[in-house]
Amino acid sequence: MKNIAALIYRDTLIRLTSLMWLFFDMAVPLLYLLMFGVGFNKAVGFGIHTFGSSIPYNDFFLAGVLSMSCFGSAINQAYGFFVDRDNGIFYEFLTYPMTRGELLLGKMLFQCMMALAQTTLTLTAAYFILDIPINIALLPVTIIVVMVGIAAWFFALSTIAFRIRRNDTFNTVINVAYFVLMFVSSMFYPLDAVPVWLKYISYINPLTWHTDVLRFTTIGVGEIGIIGIEAAGFVIFLGISFWFARQALKKVA
Amino acid sequence: MQHAISIHNLVKEFPRKSEPPMRAVDDISFDVRTGQVFGLLGPNGVGKSTIIKILTTLIPPTSGTVLVNGFEVVRQSLDVRKNICVVLQENAVEVFLTVRHNFLTFGKFHGMTTSEIEKKLGRIVELFGLEEILNQKPIDLSGGMKRRVQVAKMFLVDKPIVFLDEATTGMDTFNKRATVNAIKEEAQRGRTIVLTTHMLEEAEELCNEIVIINHGKIIAKGTTDEVKKLGLQLFYLSLKFNELKKDLEEMMYKFSPIKMDIINNDVSLTVRELNTAIQILSMAQSSGALKHFEISTASLEDVFVELLDGKKRGAA
Ligand SMILES: Nc1ncnc2c1ncn2[C@@H]1O[C@H](COP(=O)(O)OP(=O)(O)O)[C@@H](O)[C@H]1O
Ligand SMILES: [Mg+2]
Repeated sequence: MKNIAALIYRDTLIRLTSLMWLFFDMAVPLLYLLMFGVGFNKAVGFGIHTFGSSIPYNDFFLAGVLSMSCFGSAINQAYGFFVDRDNGIFYEFLTYPMTRGELLLGKMLFQCMMALAQTTLTLTAAYFILDIPINIALLPVTIIVVMVGIAAWFFALSTIAFRIRRNDTFNTVINVAYFVLMFVSSMFYPLDAVPVWLKYISYINPLTWHTDVLRFTTIGVGEIGIIGIEAAGFVIFLGISFWFARQALKKVA
Repeated sequence: MQHAISIHNLVKEFPRKSEPPMRAVDDISFDVRTGQVFGLLGPNGVGKSTIIKILTTLIPPTSGTVLVNGFEVVRQSLDVRKNICVVLQENAVEVFLTVRHNFLTFGKFHGMTTSEIEKKLGRIVELFGLEEILNQKPIDLSGGMKRRVQVAKMFLVDKPIVFLDEATTGMDTFNKRATVNAIKEEAQRGRTIVLTTHMLEEAEELCNEIVIINHGKIIAKGTTDEVKKLGLQLFYLSLKFNELKKDLEEMMYKFSPIKMDIINNDVSLTVRELNTAIQILSMAQSSGALKHFEISTASLEDVFVELLDGKKRGAA
C-alpha cells in the first residue's frame, strides 16, 4: 500500500510540473465530444439507428469518447515509461522495495484518478450542455467501467512499451494500432449498420466491448445478453494484459 | 556470521544472434562479509555492472546461486530489494522534479515519512554541498551534479547493503571526496557497501576486500592489504644486451616470469620475487653480454595492469 501511495505521489508531482500535459489529459475528450460530436450531430440530424431505437449522434458518440479517452490516457501513462527510461530512473525503480505488479498497479491507479476527474468533466458537460440523457443511477458502474478500461489498455500498452526499446517505434506502432482498432469498433458508428465482415472483425476487438458496455451504462443502448458477454470478455482481456505486462517488466532490464 | 552477499558459480550469458551467447560473467564465486566495504575492480566491459545488476535483481543469473542478506535473488527478489539501495552506473534522476522532490520521492519509495526525510536531509545536503541546487531541477544541472544527487540519495535511507556502480564517475574532486567520506562514515555504522570502480586509488582508500575481475572471471581476490602485498612481490627487470643468446633466453623462461618481452636484444620481464629477479640478473651478468640493467618494484596500479595483461596472454 505504501509503495502504491509513493508511486501516486511521484506521478502526481511529475504531472503537476507539466500543466499542459495535465490540461490535455483532462480536456481532450471533452473537446472531442464538443467539436466532433456537435458537428456530426448536425450532419446526422436524423439520428442513429441502433438496437431498434433512434438516438441523436451526440448520445451515441458519448461512449465512444469515453472509451477513446481511456485508450488515450493509457497511451500517455505507458509512454511515461520511455521518459523514465531515458532518465534512467526507471531502472532505479526496479531496485526499489516493491514488486513488479505493484509498480504496474500504482501507475495504473494514478491514471485512474486522472480519469475520474476527466470522466466527471466529460459527463457533466454531456449532461448539462449537450442534454445527453445519462443514466445517473448507473453512474458508479460507468466509473468502474472507465477504470477497468484504463487498466486493461494501460497494461496492454505497457507490455508493448517494455518490449520496444525506441520511443519513435512505439509511437508508430501505437498510432497504427489505435487507428485500426478505432475503425473496426463501435466507437463512431453502430455495428448493425456496417458490412458483415466489418461487424465480425469489430466484435473481436476489445475496444468494441468496452465502448458497448459504456454505451449501455450511460444511455442504456444495447442488449443485456451481448453486453454481459462483452463485459466478461473485457475483464478477461484485463487479466491477460496484466499478466503479459508483468512478464515483460521482469525482462525489461 | 552471515554473509551480506554470497555468490557461488555465477554465470551470466547474453544471447546473441547467430553466434554462441556472450558470457559476461564466467563462473564467479565470492562472499562479502557484513559491514565490509567490498570492491569489484577491473577495466571496462569485464562484467562488473552485470554482477551488480544480478545482485540488485535487475537481471536474473543464467546459473549459479546468489544470496543477498540471505535471500535468493530470483525467488526472493522482493526481500532482496528490501535490503538494498543502488546507484546504478547509468544516471538515474527525476530530471523534471526538484532536487528536494528527488529526495522526497526516493525516501517515500523506501518507506520513509516526509518528516523522517526532512530530518535526515539537512545532513546530506551539507555533506554533498547541495544547498544551492535544492530547488532546482536536474534537467538544468550538469552531469556531475546529477550524479551527486543520485549518490546522495543512498545516504538518506538505512538499507543494510549499498551498491555503488562507478558512483564517482563524472564527479569533480570535491564531490569525490564527499562521496568517499560518506561511504567511510556509513561503513563505520555497520552497513555493507559493494562498489565497482576502475580506479585503484579509490578502492585502496575505501575497500577492506577486493576482487579483480577480467573477462568475467576473478583473477585476484583478498583483503586490500593482501592484494597490495601481491604488488610488493612483483619486480620489473629491464635488461639490455649487446647480443642475446638463445640459451640465456631459454634459461630466463624457466623462471616462468609473469611477463616477458623481447625486442631485439632487450628483455623486460616481471617476476614474483626479488630472489628470482636477482638470480636472473646474475645469470645475465655472467653471460658477459649485458650492457645495462634496471630493477624496480611494481606499484599497485602496475600490478593491476600486469594481472590483467597476464590473463590476456594466458587466454590467447
Ligand atoms: N544486456 C546486455 N546484452 C548483451 N550484452 C551485454 C548486456 N549487458 C552487458 N553486456 C556485455 O557484457 C560485458 C560486460 O559488461 P558490463 O558488466 O557492463 O562491464 P563493466 O561494468 O565491467 O564495464 C560487455 O561485453 C557488455 O557488452
Ligand atoms: Mg560497468
